Formats: sequence, structure tokens, C-alpha cells
Amino acid sequence: MRNNRIFRRLAPIPALVAAALLTGCARNAPQDTFVPKGPNAEKIDNLQNIVFPMAGIVGVIVLVLAGYIFVKFKDKGQPIPSQAHGKPVVEITLTVIPALILTVVGVFTFRGVFDLAETRDTELIINVTGQQWWWEYDYPAQEKYGITQPIITSGQLVIPEKTKVLLRETSRDVIHSYWIPALNGKKDAVPGRIHLLRLEADQPGLYAGQCTEFCGLSHANMRMEAVALSEADFAKWVANQQRAYAPPASGLAKEGETVFLNQCVRCHQVNGLKKTDGTPAIAQPEQNVYSGAAPNLSHLMSRNTFAGAMFDLVTEKCRKDIWGASSAEFGATYLEGVTEDCLNQNDLRAWLRNAPAMKPMYADPTKLGASGGKYRGMPNLGLTEDDIDKLVAYLLTLK
Amino acid sequence: MFTNGSKYYLGLSVVSAIVGVAYMVLVNPNDLGALALFVLATAAGTVAGFSLFIRDGEVATAAEAIEAARRAPGASIWPIVTALGAATVLVGLATVPAWFIIGIAVFCAGGLEWMIQGWAERASADERWNEEVRTRIIGGLEFPGLAAVVLVLIAYAFSRIMLNASKNGATVIFMIVATVVLIIGSLVAVRPGFRGRSLATVVTAGSVVLLVAGVASAFAGEREELTKAAKEDHFSAEHRECGPEKSKYWDKHANNTVSLRSAVIATVTVENGEVYAQAVGLQTKVGSISVPRSNPVALMFRNKDEKEYRLTVNLGTQEVAQTGVKEEKKDCTQLTGKNQEQILLLKITKPAENPDEPYTLTVPGLKGEIKVIVP
Repeated sequence: MRNNRIFRRLAPIPALVAAALLTGCARNAPQDTFVPKGPNAEKIDNLQNIVFPMAGIVGVIVLVLAGYIFVKFKDKGQPIPSQAHGKPVVEITLTVIPALILTVVGVFTFRGVFDLAETRDTELIINVTGQQWWWEYDYPAQEKYGITQPIITSGQLVIPEKTKVLLRETSRDVIHSYWIPALNGKKDAVPGRIHLLRLEADQPGLYAGQCTEFCGLSHANMRMEAVALSEADFAKWVANQQRAYAPPASGLAKEGETVFLNQCVRCHQVNGLKKTDGTPAIAQPEQNVYSGAAPNLSHLMSRNTFAGAMFDLVTEKCRKDIWGASSAEFGATYLEGVTEDCLNQNDLRAWLRNAPAMKPMYADPTKLGASGGKYRGMPNLGLTEDDIDKLVAYLLTLK
Repeated sequence: MFTNGSKYYLGLSVVSAIVGVAYMVLVNPNDLGALALFVLATAAGTVAGFSLFIRDGEVATAAEAIEAARRAPGASIWPIVTALGAATVLVGLATVPAWFIIGIAVFCAGGLEWMIQGWAERASADERWNEEVRTRIIGGLEFPGLAAVVLVLIAYAFSRIMLNASKNGATVIFMIVATVVLIIGSLVAVRPGFRGRSLATVVTAGSVVLLVAGVASAFAGEREELTKAAKEDHFSAEHRECGPEKSKYWDKHANNTVSLRSAVIATVTVENGEVYAQAVGLQTKVGSISVPRSNPVALMFRNKDEKEYRLTVNLGTQEVAQTGVKEEKKDCTQLTGKNQEQILLLKITKPAENPDEPYTLTVPGLKGEIKVIVP
């Protein structure tokens, strides 16, 4: 009878444990920390494989013992047992065992930390700057990779496969944290500091990431994707990014360029774009945006995402084609860029129509005393449908 | 259980909290109105707690109330402290804002103490209980508050002494003070008899000496080189000294601060008459440095040659206040001797507009330039 009662009381426990385990299951989990896709993430995974089981076993032992003690010695009105002090054998044992465990964990951890901090054999450097709520990537000139002029992009970090890439991270406003779980651990991007993070991908493909330091209203929408290309495809990507600006000759796209010059260039730079008088159109985000920067839209349509990688520039079908491409085909599929058929018109038009409605931002400067009346994010520009048509046509030319 | 007063304030607190939540949901969660309502709820809740604790200040019987009210108020220092605070507030309004803040703090502290003492003296006819209840309410704040004030005064006085003494003198004073503290601490540890009145006398005497010396030092001012360094205003944004060196007293070790060194994006080195740059993370020499727009970054300038050099960043030209006159826009480090380093902070808001005037880094007196590119 008593056993039945105990059994009934303990019955929910296996169900709870099973439920907890089920929360770890997922079919599509691009940010799974246990599936490394590069040597740096592999080092972390190897460390986890040692530390997690050890910590798990210790945790289970402690919890089971604590539970046993709670049940066995609960107050039933019995007299307080005699109190004993000073058991050298027990005390030494309980000191030595944790010390040994921590020593083993410490040795592997320190080795891993120093391995991950290695930068002397870096092959490619990229400056990564975080701001509310997107990431900017600029590639300083590096002859080895054919980068003769700095390349600037956002949303997607493009790297060559099997290459030791060093990210030099900083921030323009608050603390952010850069994390592509498949390629390495996370590293904070702090204003006024430059932190180094090494990435390396084993094979071509797309690797998803997420800002992991709470950075304000749209922190959850501050995403990123690393795109690894073969060496040959990376060279093609570099060549395309350095291609001179080609203004649209005529038609809707040409009219869109004028709208862009009147509206967008206040914050967004397109390298090579010139004003009607022939002088360079230089964006002045420092006068309008709190962080002092807005995404550079040169070669926008060579990317797959926009608005801090929150929205796809390509339709769902095209996105599936890119994400699902084999390693051998991935480069060619990605480098195709955004074609007119693949363009995600819905989200892009909705964004141009009213950006703050698509992504939470502090886009009303009248309520922003603390930022000196400057935007944090893109405001609603009040564009007409006609303007939006023209702009979409123009943006499509930015390949 | 609940007194009349506490019921009122509890009700006010609960209603304010409910309205606050409703305001957040219905109006604007980020508005000051919601904040004000929650502050009101908290304040009313606190007063309700007070009312419960002191039973609305009601004594048990009318006779007891008459007895409590008949007693003359005891001697108190708090009216003087409060008046001193009010006077300091006025002085602060007319002079330095810091005095205004100090005055507010003194005024509030004095007023609070005065109020609690005034209430406690009439809390009941039992003087012992009155004293006990006063201690229970305010005693927990008095000693930490007093300790904080004394610590601030001592730290401030000591800092004035160290800033007034010469460099060597300050070192000697520091050693003497440290030794005295160590000796007193050792005596306290090994001689239990030293702890009572003797220790109090020594600590009081030491504190008085420190305060007197601190006040005297504050009036005497800082030592000469510090005063002159302040006049040089070397680190201000307006300070431009890319020509012959004039500053003499500025802090030459300021470049060693961790915060500056942690933002270095590239090093520029002079070696055997050659100027070259290396981007952090790459071992090779580079002909250009990429600087993120609108974000401060640091360049490390390192001189390995005998002669002194400085690093200059040339940022094109700019018009002087719509006069049509153009002046060169540049910044630089101070002259840097052999095997010395200096930091040059850069914050560039936009790319070079004129292709004929690219941003560059040069070392006057040496050939070669490094391009600074703002993508």
C-alpha cells in the first residue's frame, strides 16, 4: 500500500525528465552549438564533450543525494540526531575529489582558451562593427585576396572556406555580442574596444548566428549569417564587390536613383553614386542616426538578407535553393545574387513603406531626448507607392 | 491589526499599482506617467508600513498622550545640520553645483533625523521605549552613513595632500602613512589592551591631523607641474600642436592606459627612416588602413629610430566658418623618442569627398604615406 503511494507520487518525474529532454529536439536548428562546422567550434565542442558529462554526473549525484536527504530525514517529530564534527577522512576525500575534477576540467579549458585566442597565423582580417540592430563588415585592403579597395557590406559575412579569418569586433553604441555557433564561440563587441574572434569554415555553406548580448528593443532581431565560399568563388565575390558603380541608364530604375538621392542617401551610402552635379553622393548618417552609421547599400543585391538579416531579400523558394545547395553547388547558387524572379518584393516593399512597423525601432526622434533627437533604426519616410516602385527597380540594379 | 492611517495608505498604494499597470497596457508602457504611478504606489506602501509600525502615532491612553506631549523637546543637533544644509544649497546655487548637491544631501539627512527624533520623543510616555524605537528606525542608517562621510573626508584630504606634495615627498608620505597604519594594525592584533580608549584616541588624533593637513593642502593648491599641465590643456579636443613641441608638463604615460590600448586597430612604425603600418591581426605591412565610419579607433605610433618623430593624420581641408578660407584639417601625436609609443585617436565621420585630398598618415621629416580609408 505504502509502495503504491510512493510510486504514484514519483510517477510524474519520468514524464518531466522526458519533457525536458524533448525540448532539446529540433528538426531545423542552424544555431545548434553541438554541430561544429569549423576547427574553432570543434575545439569548443571537444571541451563540451568532456565538461558537460562530468558536470552532469556531479549534478545528478548532488541532486539525488539532496532529494534522498530531504525525504529520509524530514521532520517527523523524531529527536535531533547526535551532532558530529571532524571527520578527516571524509573532509579530505570531499576536498580532493572536486579538486581533481576541477584540475582535469581546468587543463582542457585553459588549453582550449589559448588555442582559440591564437591569431598569429591569421590569413584574412575583417572589421566587424555592431550597432542597433545590424552588423557592418568591412574588409581592409589585402592583396592576397585581391582586395585592393576596402569592401563594405552588412547582414552577411562572406569568407573563404578553410581560411583563418580574424574578426576585429567593436560597437558604435552599446555592447553587442557576435556568435555564429557552428564556427566559434561568442565574443562581445564593446564600444571603444577591439576584440578579436577567429572564424574558419570547413566547407562552403551558410551559417546562422544571433546577437547574444541584450542590446535594446530589437536585440532579438539582430541576426547575422556567415557565408563560406570556395577560394575561387570568394575571388569572384571580391571582384564583384569591387566592381565600379554602374548607374541605370534610363527607365524606372533611373527614376529610382533620383528618389534614392533625395531620400535614402541622407543615411545610406552607395559607393560611386554621384549627385546630379557630378560630385560624389556622400551619406551623412552621423547627422541622422544615433550610432553614426547606416548600412552601406553598394551591391545590395549580392546579399540574401536586409534589415539586420531579419528579412530575406530572396523569396522562400529561392532561399531554400540556396540553403539546400550542396557544397559543390553552393557558391554558384549564392553568387547568382538576387534576381528579379527571386526578389522578396513583399518584405522589401513593406520595409520601404513603413520600416518601424516591420521591426521594432526607436524611429521617432521627437521621443528620443537621450539620443539627441537622432534615429535608432530606420524611420517611416512616407514614400508613395510610386516612389517605392522606382526604388525597388533601382535597388535591383545594385548587384 | 491595520490602523486607520495604514488602511488609507495601503489602499492608495494598491490602487496606484493597479492604475499603473492599466496605464502601461492602455496608454504607453514607456511613459513617465506609469513610472509616476509606480513611484506613488511604492511611496504610499512605505508610509503604510510606517503607520503600521508606529500605530498611527497614537499612544495607548489619553493620559499617556498628555504626559508625552507635556515633555519639552530634548536637545538636538539636527536643526543646526538642516540649517547648514539649506545654507549650503543656497551657496551652491550661486557658486559650484557640487555644493548644491552636498547641501541637498545634508539638508535631507538633517531633516530626516530631526523628524524621526521629534516623532520618537512623543511616541509614548516611556522614554526608554521612545529611544529604542528611534534607534530601530534610523540607527541602521546612521552608522554606515557616518562611516561613509568620514571615509570620503579622509580620502579627499589625503588626495589633497598627495597632490600638493612634490613627487618624491608624496612617495615618502605614502610610505610613512602605510607604515603607521601597519604598526597600529599590528598593535591592535597583538595587544588586546590597546583596543579601547587608546585606539580611539590614536585614530581620532590621526584623523584630525589628516583633515587639518588636507584642508591646508587644498588651500595651498596642487604642485607646480600639475598646475602647469592643467594650463597646457594638452588632452583637450581643441589642443592642436602638430608643429614644434610646446607642451612640457603633460602626462606622458597617459598612452599606457588599458582602454586606449584595447582599441588599437593598427600600428605605424618608424624604423631605419622607413614608415610602415601593420593592421592588428596581420603580420604583413600594409599600404592602407581601413577605419570604420563614425567610430573612434586608436593607432599606435612606434618610433624605433634615434631622432624624435610624430605621426600626423591628414584629413583634407575645411572651410573656416564660411569665410572661403580653407585650412588643413589634421591631428597628430606629440614628438616621440626612440623606442617610445604614442596613441593617436581617430574618429572620422565620412569618407574623403575630394579624390585629390585622400586621408593619409604621414611622419613629418620622412618620406612615404599610408592611406586612411573610410569605407
